[in-house]
Amino acid sequence: MTDKIEERLDALYGAPPPGSEALERLHRKVQQWQEAIWYDALRDSAVGPLLVAVSDQGVVAVEFGTNEAGFVRELEARYGVTVLRSMDQVREAMSQILQYLSGDRRTFELDVDLRGSTEFQRKVLESAGAVPPGFVATYGEIAARIGQPQSARAVGQALARNPIPIIVPCHRVVAVNGSLTGYSGAGGIETKAHLLRLEGATIA
Amino acid sequence: MEVTVGASNKKPQFQVLVKTHAGEIYAYLWRMLQNEQDTEDCLQESFLKAFLAYDRLDGSANHRAWLYRIAGNTASTRLRARLRTGVLLLEDLPDSDPPVEQQALNQIQLDEVRNAIEALPYKQRESIILKNYQHLSYEEIGIILDTTVDGARANVYQGMKKLRAQFENGDSLAVPNFAEGSSEVS
Repeated sequence: MTDKIEERLDALYGAPPPGSEALERLHRKVQQWQEAIWYDALRDSAVGPLLVAVSDQGVVAVEFGTNEAGFVRELEARYGVTVLRSMDQVREAMSQILQYLSGDRRTFELDVDLRGSTEFQRKVLESAGAVPPGFVATYGEIAARIGQPQSARAVGQALARNPIPIIVPCHRVVAVNGSLTGYSGAGGIETKAHLLRLEGATIA
Repeated sequence: MEVTVGASNKKPQFQVLVKTHAGEIYAYLWRMLQNEQDTEDCLQESFLKAFLAYDRLDGSANHRAWLYRIAGNTASTRLRARLRTGVLLLEDLPDSDPPVEQQALNQIQLDEVRNAIEALPYKQRESIILKNYQHLSYEEIGIILDTTVDGARANVYQGMKKLRAQFENGDSLAVPNFAEGSSEVS
């Protein structure tokens, strides 16, 4: 029987850990996390509850409402990746949105991930993003800016499918007579008007 | 346009971190937890925490020590939970043949030393494993356990001293103790 404590400890701790499968499973997990979409919920904001999701490329989705399960399901189906909740990953986007809604921020410094949108939708959304706060553009103007002046109606449809409202300011695009036609957010047109007023735009 | 497309990409750097250190963190957790399932759970939990906090990590920080710190805290939480639920390590031991190193000692001797080291204040036990089996420097142990180089050295020294005294006294039935003991150097 050995009395040396070092030898006893060696017997306990000297052996290598079992198998390498655990490490392979970890590597697969890390891969999953890196491709994952992370989201968090904002219970209360000036425009009601919000759900916000980001990928490692940028903000993927902003949704009005509290339907967390539906939000997750839709993201999973649309992007084919794991969708996980994390306050950490979404913190920056959340805090900029809150600052914006409380009037403490005019423009967003966030990357956006529009990989779920078509080339045309992307062009429309980027063009809407170029309208500065406090100003509005018409559907026709956006259509002209992307070189498809006949496509005002399609522009309207692309904006209606904006996956990242508020951050990509589809609310700054209005009808030719200045009226606020359609907004997908909770509260609809009232939310659109709220955002425009917040930015100091004069609305008809 | 106020919103830019594209991103700061943390993918490659974090992957390098995992490739470089996952093996030793796994070994460390195994030594601390002595149970395969707990070790794997804590391994994934630790790296998930690291992944989520990686963006906020100071570039000049010691990444290795930072990972050990996260893993150590995760293991500590797991051990506390295990104590609360009354799961004993001895019950968790696999039935399969012990590794060659363990065959040199009989099961009773192994249980004795396991009980003894589990009875040490957590930081002393952690320091002994970090120093003698993970081969970290006292400086790194200091960072991990939030203490000085001297504090880290004292933790190893005090822990080993206690273990020796315990075996000389024939007292090997100590109960694991995770309370931050007064003799603990921090």
